[in-house]
Amino acid sequence: MKIIETTNLTKFYGKNKGIEDVSLSINEGEIFGFIGPNGAGKSTTIRLLLSLIYPTSGKATIFGKNCFKYGHEIRNDIGYLPSEVFYYDKMRVKELLKYSASFYKGDHSKRIIELADIMELDLNRKIDELSYGNKKKVGIVQGLLHQPKLIILDEPTSGLDPLMQQKFFDLILEENKKGATVFFSSHILGEVQKLCNRVAIIREGHIVKIEDIKTLRNDNYKKVSIRTSNHNQKVFAIEGISNIEQVDGEINFFFNGDINVLLSLITKHKVNDVIIEEPTLEEIFMHYYK
Amino acid sequence: MNIYKREIKDKLKSTIVWSISIFALIMLFMSIFPVFSRDATTLKLMMDNYPEEMLKAFGMSGVDLGSVAGYFTMTLLFTQICLAIQASNYGFSILSLEERELTADFLLTKPVTRTKIFFSKFAAAFTALTITNVATWGSTYLSIEMFRNGKDYDIDIFIKMMATIVLFQLFFLGVGMVISMLVKKVKSVLTFSMSLSFGMYILSAFGSIIGEDTLGYITPFKYFEPNTLIINGAYDRTMIYVCITVIVVSLLASYILYNKRNIHSAN
Amino acid sequence: MNIILRELRASIKSMAIWCGVFTVLIFMYMSEFSAYANNEEMLAVLDGMPEAMLEAFQMNSFNLTTLTGFYGILFTYFILMLSIHAILKGNSIISKEERDRTVEFTLVLPIKRSKVVIGKLIAVIINCIIIDVFLYGIILFSIQSYLPEENFMEFLLLLFASTFIMQMLFLSLGIMFGCAMKQYKRSGYLGISIILISYVLSIVSGLSKKLEFLKYITPFKFFDTAVIKNEMALDWKYILISFTIIVICLTIGLITYKKRDLYI
Repeated sequence: MKIIETTNLTKFYGKNKGIEDVSLSINEGEIFGFIGPNGAGKSTTIRLLLSLIYPTSGKATIFGKNCFKYGHEIRNDIGYLPSEVFYYDKMRVKELLKYSASFYKGDHSKRIIELADIMELDLNRKIDELSYGNKKKVGIVQGLLHQPKLIILDEPTSGLDPLMQQKFFDLILEENKKGATVFFSSHILGEVQKLCNRVAIIREGHIVKIEDIKTLRNDNYKKVSIRTSNHNQKVFAIEGISNIEQVDGEINFFFNGDINVLLSLITKHKVNDVIIEEPTLEEIFMHYYK
Repeated sequence: MNIYKREIKDKLKSTIVWSISIFALIMLFMSIFPVFSRDATTLKLMMDNYPEEMLKAFGMSGVDLGSVAGYFTMTLLFTQICLAIQASNYGFSILSLEERELTADFLLTKPVTRTKIFFSKFAAAFTALTITNVATWGSTYLSIEMFRNGKDYDIDIFIKMMATIVLFQLFFLGVGMVISMLVKKVKSVLTFSMSLSFGMYILSAFGSIIGEDTLGYITPFKYFEPNTLIINGAYDRTMIYVCITVIVVSLLASYILYNKRNIHSAN
Repeated sequence: MNIILRELRASIKSMAIWCGVFTVLIFMYMSEFSAYANNEEMLAVLDGMPEAMLEAFQMNSFNLTTLTGFYGILFTYFILMLSIHAILKGNSIISKEERDRTVEFTLVLPIKRSKVVIGKLIAVIINCIIIDVFLYGIILFSIQSYLPEENFMEFLLLLFASTFIMQMLFLSLGIMFGCAMKQYKRSGYLGISIILISYVLSIVSGLSKKLEFLKYITPFKFFDTAVIKNEMALDWKYILISFTIIVICLTIGLITYKKRDLYI
């Protein structure tokens, strides 16, 4: 059974396009990355899956059930962490989590304490006194306390320090090992590559590509910039190079291929400096998914 | 039950404050009654000298301000203003709370239907209003016993006057709810609720002074104008039906709209 | 200057609504007035109303069959409406920054907080003036086909003067609450309570001679439209009281806002 399946899901805000013809299919046990720049339609898709908003056209099912008809049943097994967390100000952390737990069957008090321990969250603080990062932690505990079968994460790592991010990723991986499927939306390619099995890339409301993470790794684009007194850029015209441009004493290009070939080519010339780095997500979009 | 409990807890303080305010208001007005009724004994005689039709234009014919019930109509008017503000406050806030406080991502991603959220919120608001209603009954009884100055009163009239409070509250609650669902965002609950409650009051108040009748069908202050009750012994049936229709339609409409509403993200 | 402009732009919609409401009200009521104008019978009815009742609703000494009497009564309600508008607006123009979580934007701009408050204050004052001027225009238009009494125009200007003082009074109260109170939600409710209590007291003070002293407490009695009509002047005593209150409120508002911690 597919955990999430959407067919031609479309949402317009008046005349403005939110997303158009988004078709996704996510299997049980996957960690599915959903990646795209700001405003591409990531949050719109997620809000549709949670039936916070209703589609203009198209279908969406989770656990084989229609999202918009059986939303409340489905949500029993969904854990959701929004990108920005706001909670009822007057409550304490403990009260909020208890209130949250009261919506799900069973007793979750043990799990709350366990998760709060891992995330180093003080349960007795008042919500409105918490910092952004700490509110985020409340969100994480709140999203995971009922051991959901599907975890939906909307840019979850912002506001968490690297140590906490690592703890959070470990938590997610652990849940995944126990059988949870994860839908991970982000605009940071690195963290998606680290965690996910498959990735969908969304841009301007359309799915541009759905790829296995392994292929994405094979598609190992590097951004290379070489400072040299040799101003002839044609020297570097080998297979795998694209978008080559020359600015002053610098030659910039993208390279996708055997890195050894490139390195041996560089050593043949007199260069002052070489930078080889990961292209940013935006650059990937700019150059490859036009 | 959990949503209901939370909503009640949220409204508890405001319910208590409103109940106490209304108690103070009724006590304040009624405590003046002994002094007032002495000045007013000649009023009735004066009013009897004028043709019935003319006094009716002012909604005052047959109202003896020297009597307990007659005087109480004025007290009730101001109590109604308070009740209207409270009910419209709840009306405008309950369904829009999640979007205003940006907590929609919390509540609406829980495994509950919007129908259940709607009814829990409505039930909680109604409970809170009923508490205030009961407090109003109690304050009225107490104030009359304390200040009636030995004068008799017709308990029937009082029961009829007070019995309409529930419809009065539901009108403002329902209309508030449906408006909050029709607008894009309720930024400030107070602005909305003051416009609705005071707008209705001013429409009714000025309407009675200059004898404008058609507008009466818009404002509940007219539906349940205590003077009418004292004069005719009953409220205007048509107006009661109008009120009930408005309540039913607005609740139904807000239920449908809430179920269909797109909840956008916080940023 | 930019703050004033931004705030004015933000309140265009609310101003338009207010102007619309007044237009509808005035024309509705003027169509009623056409039945009253110079109607002897109506006059008789009014004379026969119980004094205490009329007093309570500030209807005594007004003759509904004249423009002066008609607008005298209308204005008791207009002043109530505009006072509510002023206190809510004064309060929200300050506290909305916290409500809409925009403090972080506005108050990190390179300007003093006091300048922010003063800019906003000026914007609301302009706001009030625009509504007043509009209302004045509508009234002038509405009475075209009637022959106003001798003193009517002067009376109308006095009404507007008192309305404006009341607006400033409640506006400065609203701004003070908005500035001084940590919880923006409470400051709104406090403003409303003040209005309600003042209004109830103004009614109660008319019920009995013994309660007349209340008129010093409730602003709604400061410039009783009936008194204005009889004296054809505003009472200097109350102008002074109002002015003092306005200055005190604004000073407190400015000082507290300067020192206050702001959160989102």
